[in-house]
Amino acid sequence: MYTSSKKPQEGTFLWLLKIIAGLLIIIILGIHFYVNHLVAPGGLLSYSNVLAYYQNPIIPIMEIIFLIFVVTHALLGLRSIVLDLNPSQAVLRWINIGFVLIGAIAVIYGTWLVFFVVAKGSGA
Amino acid sequence: MNETHWRVTFEIFRQKTGQPCHFDEYVMDVDPDEYVLDVVERIWAYNDRSLTFRHACHHSTCGACGMRVNSVEKLSCITPIREVARNGGKVRVEPLRNFPVLSDLVVDMGAFYLRLDDAKFSQVASLKDACLPFERKQQVREDGSYERLVDCLECGMCISACPVALTTPEYLGPGVLAAAQHAFHQSRDTSLLDLVDDQDGVWRCHSAYECTAVCPSNVDPGWRIMDLRKNILRHQISKIFSRRGQSR
Amino acid sequence: MKNEPNSTNFLRWFDPRNRKLGTLAFILNRITALGLTLYLFMHLIVLGTLARGPEAYDSFIKLAKTPAILVGETLVIAAGIIHGLNGIRIALNSFGIGTRHQRLIFIGLMVVAAGCIAIFVKSMFFSH
Ligand code: HEM
Ligand code: SF4
Ligand code: FES
Repeated sequence: MYTSSKKPQEGTFLWLLKIIAGLLIIIILGIHFYVNHLVAPGGLLSYSNVLAYYQNPIIPIMEIIFLIFVVTHALLGLRSIVLDLNPSQAVLRWINIGFVLIGAIAVIYGTWLVFFVVAKGSGA
Repeated sequence: MNETHWRVTFEIFRQKTGQPCHFDEYVMDVDPDEYVLDVVERIWAYNDRSLTFRHACHHSTCGACGMRVNSVEKLSCITPIREVARNGGKVRVEPLRNFPVLSDLVVDMGAFYLRLDDAKFSQVASLKDACLPFERKQQVREDGSYERLVDCLECGMCISACPVALTTPEYLGPGVLAAAQHAFHQSRDTSLLDLVDDQDGVWRCHSAYECTAVCPSNVDPGWRIMDLRKNILRHQISKIFSRRGQSR
Repeated sequence: MKNEPNSTNFLRWFDPRNRKLGTLAFILNRITALGLTLYLFMHLIVLGTLARGPEAYDSFIKLAKTPAILVGETLVIAAGIIHGLNGIRIALNSFGIGTRHQRLIFIGLMVVAAGCIAIFVKSMFFSH
């Protein structure tokens, strides 16, 4: 067998996750624009607008789901570009750790921000 | 050659092992309906005996004469000068990309051939299975008793054209994946799916379809890669359900 | 010339010369992907102004109404539409749908993309 042994890099699962996350992004992005223009006429151009907008519970839930999928898809996509540069296994291990950390921080930070805005709005 | 109509400058890639590469220019009198390989042979015969290149059949069967003509992969034995140059113009001839250069226009395709073996590439198939499944043009005996050579010439041009193969020698490449699809299509041997279900297999492809564009023999490697993806997904999903069925 | 596969060859990914439409699709997908990812993380950082109270956010919105930022935003929207629609082609092909017509599908999707981008540009620059 000439072909080198299996690498646990991007198999069916991660690839499918990337594609499904990508397709969900389109759907949610569509809803996002629809809601932005119909539910929030005039757009979210001031701080108080944003606070009011986030009082509808659908919005923060949608934003958080959207965030998770976008971050997942973007980091998996970025990783597949990095894989095309043929990194060594050692470098790849650090890249994996880095991407997981970046993803986790981005999602936690974004979720915190959403809750912060919701709390601010209901307090006001 | 009985009639000479055109004067064309051939810029030929030259490199001997371990040495830097350069281009040599040969001004040649050619018949526009000659093929690029004919002129390369004439350059070797009359201008420079140290020029090396590969060919055998001269009629698009052996797949040995794949080169980059003006940066596009061509079987040089069936590429007329008329198609790639004008009178007074230039033609640039280079070896295939993404393979190590051995000497001038000759590249080392050893890894490609070994991988074809891994993909259980079979040079012969029944008439029914030799062509693309969506192409049923031939008269076929139902019993499959007639066989023919399969379409792939093992020319390696698809690998030269592939933008993904540019950066990594690990990628199996379109020709090998196409061979695996072909073998899977005939045998339903799922070990072939395992072979290509890998970062260096079908998931590496980024859908540029350059392989299909340059393939001289209607193998359509791009279609075959996507067909493998579909079959892997189907296989994985059915595995999940059959495992559940067993545990009950 | 580097003939062998080499990770330093990556700039040649972005060279469409002598290649077909599929390479252009690949290049567009990759460039828009990189642009969108950069935007995503910038966007998350910038939205941090929401946590710093109304003044910070409202002054950021004022900044966002300057022409340079509006043009940048239009590019992001265009990139998102192109990348998303091309993504549909890749997904469908990989599930074995329309692979033989990938070229036509790409052209069709890019026509749709051009239409969507035109609508956005109109509503962004000409409707207020
Ligand atoms: C609008 C919906 C989107 C869809 C349907 C989508 C779809 C896809 C698909 C199918 C790929 C795989 C490309 C390939 O294998 O060559 C991909 C790659 C990628 N996407 Fe998306 N995407 C979307 C949005 C986004 C967004 C918003 C970002 C950034 C925040 C992003 C970042 C990336 C990156 C970095 C890649 C890797 C590019 C590559 O492999 O060349 N995508 N996308
Ligand atoms: S699939 Fe086509 S281009 Fe690739 S090696 Fe076979 S004949 Fe040549
Ligand atoms: S010499 Fe045999 S295919 Fe060209």
